Amino acid sequence: MAAAGAIAAPYILPSGRLFAASGQQMAKHVVYVLFAGGVRQQESVLQRYLEDAQNKPGLAGNIMYNILNGDPPTQKIAYGTDPQQGTKGSLPIPRLLNDTIENMGMLLPEMRATSAGHYAGLNTLVTGNTATTQGLKQKPVFPTIFEYTRRHLGIPATKSWFVCNTLLNSYPLLNYSEHENYGASYGANLLVPNVVFGSRGEEHLSNAKVYHPEEQIAPMYEMKQFLDNTFKSSGSGLIEYGITNTEEERNDIKEFIKATFEKKRLGQIPFPPVTDNGDLSNIGYAIELMRWFKPTLTVINLSNVDGCHSNFTGYLRALHRADHGVAHLWKEIQNIPEMKDNTIMIMIPECGRNSDPNPILDENDWYAFDHSDQNSLRIFGAMVGPGVPAGLKLGSESNPVGNIQDGVLTVADILGFKDSVINTGMVNGVAMSWFDRI
Amino acid sequence: MKRLLPFVFLLTLLSLFGCKRQIAYELNEEDIYPIDAQKGKLKTEGQYLAILHANLFQQALSANKVIELEDIIFGFGDKDLIHEVIISNLMNKQNVQLPSDSAMHADPEQFMLDTYERFLIRRPSEAELTWFINYINNHPNVTTELVYFAFALSNEYLYY
Repeated sequence: MAAAGAIAAPYILPSGRLFAASGQQMAKHVVYVLFAGGVRQQESVLQRYLEDAQNKPGLAGNIMYNILNGDPPTQKIAYGTDPQQGTKGSLPIPRLLNDTIENMGMLLPEMRATSAGHYAGLNTLVTGNTATTQGLKQKPVFPTIFEYTRRHLGIPATKSWFVCNTLLNSYPLLNYSEHENYGASYGANLLVPNVVFGSRGEEHLSNAKVYHPEEQIAPMYEMKQFLDNTFKSSGSGLIEYGITNTEEERNDIKEFIKATFEKKRLGQIPFPPVTDNGDLSNIGYAIELMRWFKPTLTVINLSNVDGCHSNFTGYLRALHRADHGVAHLWKEIQNIPEMKDNTIMIMIPECGRNSDPNPILDENDWYAFDHSDQNSLRIFGAMVGPGVPAGLKLGSESNPVGNIQDGVLTVADILGFKDSVINTGMVNGVAMSWFDRI
Repeated sequence: MKRLLPFVFLLTLLSLFGCKRQIAYELNEEDIYPIDAQKGKLKTEGQYLAILHANLFQQALSANKVIELEDIIFGFGDKDLIHEVIISNLMNKQNVQLPSDSAMHADPEQFMLDTYERFLIRRPSEAELTWFINYINNHPNVTTELVYFAFALSNEYLYY
């Protein structure tokens, strides 16, 4: 395997401690996509479209043709865009990539999740572990990949981002854990762009006054510093109040916010060609963020597929769009000079969905699916980028390979600190880097 | 006996409406503001935003707007930074209620007493007051807006 990169140098960490990154870096950047909100194997990797789910013999096909090899369905097309006249959803979104991610990288078509729930699944995707004490509305119990990355590579907060598509379901809590040895000091910057750059942000952020850094901001901070010091000396010390950025980083983020509102106004945000849901706009803003900060680690959450609880047609549309969005993301990464050929992208769903439907019918009289049975633990994984064996398929329906816990060690392996993470003893014993599974 | 009746009546009236001893506790008027912070409870984001708006505009913020602003804060990792951007946005609104810069520079002591009471609900200590008076006197370009900004962004303002 042609592993690009050199032995990473030791870094002085925010804690003042010195760690040496423990291995070779295969790429300087990782984009980790938490894929999509509960994806059934049957409509994704197995490409059965309506055949299994709606008992429609002959109506199989691949609706994720940027990621997976396989021909799309030829009948009953409902997952595309709406024509001006004719059947709703009958125009499939044109393929964006010249080759599939399956061909360009590796695919683990039959992995296992540990939980049928979204938050538990996402927690495991970012921590590499499953805590029995983990609650909803609670920050992860185990350290996250953000914290491992920042602590063991010694990178600042602006090099680690969690781009979350929604405020719902506790998802924004995933940017750092409550672990006493890690926590907010090593957490990622969180951005929910659909909120921050949406209508609420337009009203409450976009008209922010620009102050002169030396003549206005500096004295303001000086007065604030005095107030903070006197407050601290009164014994009323501040509890941990989320992650913090250095003053230089803060200025950079403020510039980014201002510039992004301006680009939005000018229609210059790099949204995917079809952007008609929150996942796709989230991807557009994530690309804008990567262009600006060139993060070491960018984790992007997608979840529109979760509409499957009550709308199977909507689920198919969201799944098709998630494929479109990821393809656009990969394409745009190749247009960022610092990240081109130096980025590995990984995608894993947090859980699957049930084998049997619930009784809810949608506009096409198709049944909806929840996630609670064994079929919900069936997931897949894919990875693409420099050093990733092209066209490699690990495992099959009858021979599952890979676990949901693998994501953290795979990211750590790419960035060169896998051993440090293993040595913490806080990643589940079944977890393995995908490079070690080859 | 009849001649005594007016006297008895007069004596009764006097006993009912005569002088009474006034009790005077002789307490001085005192402010009840504490001089040190003594704040231990973190405001919720909603409380912070509602109070901030009231402090800057002397007007209540509607519940809908509080929720919109809360969403923005929850959607951003660095809370301190997003507070700063929100305050910058508020400062750009027409009706923000700021004392004049000339009044502050003319009487920095009174301005600081008022500002501490307005934002931190307390009187400054002598050390705090002296520091700020010196700071204002030594920095003629400092504006009331920047002082208010610093108070609104201070850690103590996050607490009650």
